[in-house]
Amino acid sequence: MSTDATDPQPQQPTFDGPPLSLEEELAAARAEPEPGPSIETVNASLKDGLNRCPKCGGTDVQLRASTGMLVCLFCRHQWQEARVEEEFGLGEGIDDLQGTVIASGARDIAADAEQMVTFKCDACGAEVVVDTAHALNARCHWCRHTFNVNQQIPNGAVPDAVLPFKLTKDEAVERIRAFAGKRRLFAHKRFKAEFTPENVLGVYLPYLVVDARAETSYWGTGEVETRRWTEKQGDDRVTYYAADVYRLQREVAFTVDDLTIEGSSARADFGSQTTNNIVNTVLPFDTKNAVKWNASYLVGYSSEKRDLNVEGLAPVLEDQLLSIGRSQVEGSLDRFDRGVRWEQEKIDVGGSRWVSMYLPVWLYSYQQKSGGMLHYIAVNARTGETMGSIPVSQPKLILAALTIGTVLEGLAGAILVATA
Amino acid sequence: MSAVSLVLVHLAQLVQLVPLASGDGGIWLLAAGPVGAVGTYWLIYRYYRNTDKSHAYERDTLIEAQQVTGGEDKIDHIGRTRDSDIDGDNRHSHRQRVQRVQ
Repeated sequence: MSTDATDPQPQQPTFDGPPLSLEEELAAARAEPEPGPSIETVNASLKDGLNRCPKCGGTDVQLRASTGMLVCLFCRHQWQEARVEEEFGLGEGIDDLQGTVIASGARDIAADAEQMVTFKCDACGAEVVVDTAHALNARCHWCRHTFNVNQQIPNGAVPDAVLPFKLTKDEAVERIRAFAGKRRLFAHKRFKAEFTPENVLGVYLPYLVVDARAETSYWGTGEVETRRWTEKQGDDRVTYYAADVYRLQREVAFTVDDLTIEGSSARADFGSQTTNNIVNTVLPFDTKNAVKWNASYLVGYSSEKRDLNVEGLAPVLEDQLLSIGRSQVEGSLDRFDRGVRWEQEKIDVGGSRWVSMYLPVWLYSYQQKSGGMLHYIAVNARTGETMGSIPVSQPKLILAALTIGTVLEGLAGAILVATA
Repeated sequence: MSAVSLVLVHLAQLVQLVPLASGDGGIWLLAAGPVGAVGTYWLIYRYYRNTDKSHAYERDTLIEAQQVTGGEDKIDHIGRTRDSDIDGDNRHSHRQRVQRVQ
């Protein structure tokens, strides 16, 4: 590279204080990295153990799905927790996000954290154990008080927010029945015989809900058709094309609000041996309506523990943001009527904010005997979107395919004979 | 989707192909049977198992994008080809990852 003689003096680096001594440099190098910015989402009004109805003091509290509110089963008082969107300002400032902001419930899971949480019952003195892998409530087996796990423990079981169930079990059963009803003809015989949608289970699944700001760039090759003509070759007519070839580049900056990513490794595996894509398909949820954590929302429902950390999911976020960027630039490619081949891509995630949430799903599962594959029919318990995987009867399916193939072959033969 | 409607779809496709077939003896029409059988299997299997479905986050997420910028330079001209489109067209395959640059 040549330099122009009239160039001004090269810019001096900005002065940022006197140089550090060797000891100071070493101390800085050894220092623990500063924790990233965080949002504290612990519901301070609740505690681990007994949480009483604000009106009568009863502990028998659960969600009433039809209203989305908590109801005290003793005095019928209803109330709800505040929406996290406003409480923690989650919808704001996505344009200004810097670095990785992690809400307290989405922090790294400690590998040695206990699954079991033990409470001493305030009412009768008995010890009550909650297995946080499957539930966050338990009843004292002596005095029947309900105990809740509300404080965020480092085993990933308590998220920042929860989106309560809205669809009742009956509504979910109806949707599952309708979904399977349309797929009876080629369904596996055993599946049809054992189909009992009443066994559907309400499950809170763990997700990380991400706001992010990103800039993406893409490089590739595009072609524009300039001419098209037909030539006769023997009995055939062959179409030829002429085209201009372009090297192209596109950039787009964007923000995403509430991108939802699986927080459980069991659910995040989309290999062909699983039907996890079914549960993924019922996304999105109206995550804006998620409320502050209160374990009472989980009474009567099952839950799955988060076991994936933000750091491990950063590549998934980048992948999804790259896909979003690609879909955004697609509108600028109309001119390239012969297509575009993207060859390189780049992403710069300027900032991201991660919040862990429990989202409600009605799950009907069926374990296929041959092969052992677990099939799901999943219903989004907020929007009602339903998706499923129904095991097929291979003999029936092959018979149908062969029948149609034979009919078509017969017709093709008849046409050939008629036109010969 | 019933088997009858599948047969009708295939028949409609076949009828459209008849004028084209008359030019070259239409021997390739005999492929209709195997192609129809495989197509039927695949369509029904996919309707039952939904293996191709996933959350369309590119569409179903709140996205605020700024203006798309960029440029293009003509680098070559293809004078005569039988290919009707570019090799490896991935403009609609948003999830197909390509080489990452830093």
